[in-house]
Amino acid sequence: MPTLQAPRREPLSIGRVLACIALSIIAAIALVAWGPAQADDAEARAAESPYFHVKSDDATLDALPLKGTQVDVKISGVIADVVVTQHYRNEGQRPIEAKYIFPGSTRAAVHAMNVRLGDRMITAQIREKQRARLEYDAAKREGKTTALLEQERPNVFSMNVANILPGDDVRVELKYTELIAPDAGQYRFVFPTVVGPRYRSPNAAPANGHLSATAHLPEGVKSNTTFDLSVQLHAPLPVSEVVSHTHKLEAQGVGTERVTLALADEGQRDNRDFILEYKLGGERTATGLMLYRAPNEPNAENFFLALVEPPKQVAPVQINPRDYIFVVDISGSMHGHPLNTAKVLLRNLISGLRPSDSFNVVLFSGSSRVLSEQSVPATQANIARAIKTIEQMGGGGSTEIVPALRRVAALPKPADVSRSVIVVTDGYVAVENEVFQLVRRNLDHFNVFAFGIGSSVNRHLIEGLARAGQGEAFIVTKPERAAEQADRLRRIIDSPVLTQLKARFTGVEVYDVEPASLPDVMAGRPVLVWGKWRGNPQGAKLILQGHAASGSHTEVVDAPTPDADAVALKHLWARQRIAQLGDEEALMGGQTQREPITALGLKYGLLTQYTSFIAVDHVVRTQQAAVPVDQPLPLPEGVSKLAVGNTNASQTFGAVVPSTPEPRLVFALLVMALLGMAAWGRRQRIAAAAR
Amino acid sequence: VSLAHTLSCRPVRVGALDWLALHALALWPHGAYLIQRAADGSDDPLGLLALAAVAALVVWHRHGLRVTPRLGWLVASMAVAIAANGAWWAGVPALLASLFAALSLVCALLAWWPATQVRLPLAGLVLLALPWIASLQFYLGFPLRVITAQLSAWGLQAAGFDATRSGASMLVNGQLVIVDAPCSGVQMAWLAYFTACAAAAATGLSDRLFARRAAMVGAIVLLGNVLRNSVLVALESRPAGLSAAWHEAIGLAVLAAVCVAVLALVQRKEAPHV
Repeated sequence: MPTLQAPRREPLSIGRVLACIALSIIAAIALVAWGPAQADDAEARAAESPYFHVKSDDATLDALPLKGTQVDVKISGVIADVVVTQHYRNEGQRPIEAKYIFPGSTRAAVHAMNVRLGDRMITAQIREKQRARLEYDAAKREGKTTALLEQERPNVFSMNVANILPGDDVRVELKYTELIAPDAGQYRFVFPTVVGPRYRSPNAAPANGHLSATAHLPEGVKSNTTFDLSVQLHAPLPVSEVVSHTHKLEAQGVGTERVTLALADEGQRDNRDFILEYKLGGERTATGLMLYRAPNEPNAENFFLALVEPPKQVAPVQINPRDYIFVVDISGSMHGHPLNTAKVLLRNLISGLRPSDSFNVVLFSGSSRVLSEQSVPATQANIARAIKTIEQMGGGGSTEIVPALRRVAALPKPADVSRSVIVVTDGYVAVENEVFQLVRRNLDHFNVFAFGIGSSVNRHLIEGLARAGQGEAFIVTKPERAAEQADRLRRIIDSPVLTQLKARFTGVEVYDVEPASLPDVMAGRPVLVWGKWRGNPQGAKLILQGHAASGSHTEVVDAPTPDADAVALKHLWARQRIAQLGDEEALMGGQTQREPITALGLKYGLLTQYTSFIAVDHVVRTQQAAVPVDQPLPLPEGVSKLAVGNTNASQTFGAVVPSTPEPRLVFALLVMALLGMAAWGRRQRIAAAAR
Repeated sequence: VSLAHTLSCRPVRVGALDWLALHALALWPHGAYLIQRAADGSDDPLGLLALAAVAALVVWHRHGLRVTPRLGWLVASMAVAIAANGAWWAGVPALLASLFAALSLVCALLAWWPATQVRLPLAGLVLLALPWIASLQFYLGFPLRVITAQLSAWGLQAAGFDATRSGASMLVNGQLVIVDAPCSGVQMAWLAYFTACAAAAATGLSDRLFARRAAMVGAIVLLGNVLRNSVLVALESRPAGLSAAWHEAIGLAVLAAVCVAVLALVQRKEAPHV
């Protein structure tokens, strides 16, 4: 018996179309979701872009809780002990959680933090970073007043103070130590006051680490916080030539061994780095060997610091021709005053080249462009052309420094010529690690000299670039200071003072010496050696040997009597070791040095990228949730709003990122009309032929 | 006895062109919306070009239009017109309401359209009159840009360039190039489909063949945009970059090539069935 069977129907054409659309959508989603594998970035939090603070209309909320910052500096010899007191007060009617991003010295070893709440003082503890964050969040939820200090970059810190109740007066005190190394007989103490707005590249690698967004006050708006700074200078020799090119000073005791300084500015003080310069007894510097003996305790460690002046520079007999690549930042943050300073500097640098040298100029912002395909001889005509090109530059767009340096690395170079890359930037980027990695991987191609331009330069980038590129860092705050720095670069490049330097000790056992191998010594810079010692240092000597222009050079330094008060040496050694590990980590990528850095931070009680200070009050003070408030920062002096705001490519003068837009509509329609006419004409011809 | 006689009035004869004009007039809020979008810069004024092409087609075929409309299409056109205007007054998004209006106009045209003439290209032109470009850029722009960037990156890699894609950006020989909204190829797609519709309407390509070849127009546009993007990116990654004039010239040359390919596709005769 035949069975009834429904006839098989072909799928409807509409079904096919829908199937095709679904497949296309799945393919598109898969393509978007697919990306190249990235190493160990599961926990990475990207850097956040800076933004402008918007004034709140909420009268019950105190949106500007930081009322003032007081800085007390004591400099004894070559060591500065700094106490920074941040004063928070809640003048609103709701509990708040204040977050304040602030800068620090790149060499600071932050070793203590206290919180004063009314008449109580809470001493902060050093903790592993994640654990500190958990403790902070828990205390915040419980309604306890708590403070957390985290390091976001070696020179950028974030202070979080939760549960500041209405009417509360909270003073957070942090203490750090840093070494003031002389440079050509001049001592320089720097206290940065503001973090410049950092450009966050959308292509930044996760290895650069998290950087919190900074809230900025609009251009020309002063901050409501007071800033005061005092310095007590105790030196072994009379202090002379005390000067600050950034702030007005009131000085007492200049010419003696004890000098007291205070700020005398009436206007805004906290929108630029405070830079203090001085000399000791004319041209002399307080150098030598310092020893710290720990109290007699089990596992106690003794530390030393050697600071040895190099021999005087000798004018070289023969100077080999060099190739110079000037890499100039023309991004939005350089617009105006910083770029004008950079132009003066470049005029000085380029016009000082010898005819036998060759050079090229790379200008970068969102994109980069070069003066010519390969380096050109430093003839008057080429120098004039380069200066004219630089003069025409405005400033605008983002700061894509990594692609620019990649481009520099790819520029052709004759094998027999040494190349120096001179980077001129304010350093307002969040990709420091990527930059260091790139420079180190190209060390056989060039060495790097970095010029920081502006009132509040990112010294971590500038100094790190120079360290990674085996060069030197320069800071130019004003056009008037450009010539002297250009001159200094010429002196340094012409002849390093000491090469193949080695340090050894006799009469005492030393270990954990930093740095493991000594870099070449540039003009004016002392040799610095940190380490630990054991045994009896009496009669011990440090012997430094190297090659100078005049031949072999040996320096012998006698060990002094150990000092039980020089505890700062312990922090400085640990800071140096952590910096060294941080450099290695930046080179390797990922968090390869997380464990040793954490261990050092916990052991020596130092703030690091993996350890934080946390202070928790034991009293539960509120049940009301605290409102988060980001303390805004002023824009650094001379920096325009272009450093923060998104700029339209068509409004900027700099080299913006190129794109591949379709042709303009009017031209497209013209082409269409021509094609239509041609097609019509062809039809007519064919029709006529058919007739 | 006709109803007209009973009511003592004469039936009014309305010509096709008059009816279509009245129908278009009934959709005036949507027409005003099209003009407003074209005038305020929120969308390219390409829709007006498509409307002009529709008007030209109607005028061209005016002698062939039916004397009596197809009742089904006529009723549908009125129903959809009521829906379109209702949607407009009800606050439905203007583009969606205008889509109903366009469909209503298509129904009205088909009610009067000569049986011997093609229909799908006419409907295509009416739909192209809507201000799609900005919305397509918004919703489809990113996937199109990513696809373009990825295919370009593969193409450049095959040509020996050091090219990688990250999001909708490309890094070619250390040079960052963004494939941003104006690079997505949406404008090229509109112009290619306009060419296809206009050429099919002019040559009388059958609806069946037109539907089949319309999908291939999309592939031609994608290939054309990838080619345009790859050439521009390769030239942009040179140290000297690329001047704006060359940008325009290369873009126009590729656009012309795409349109010629579309014309060739539409005008190609169907292979005889064996």
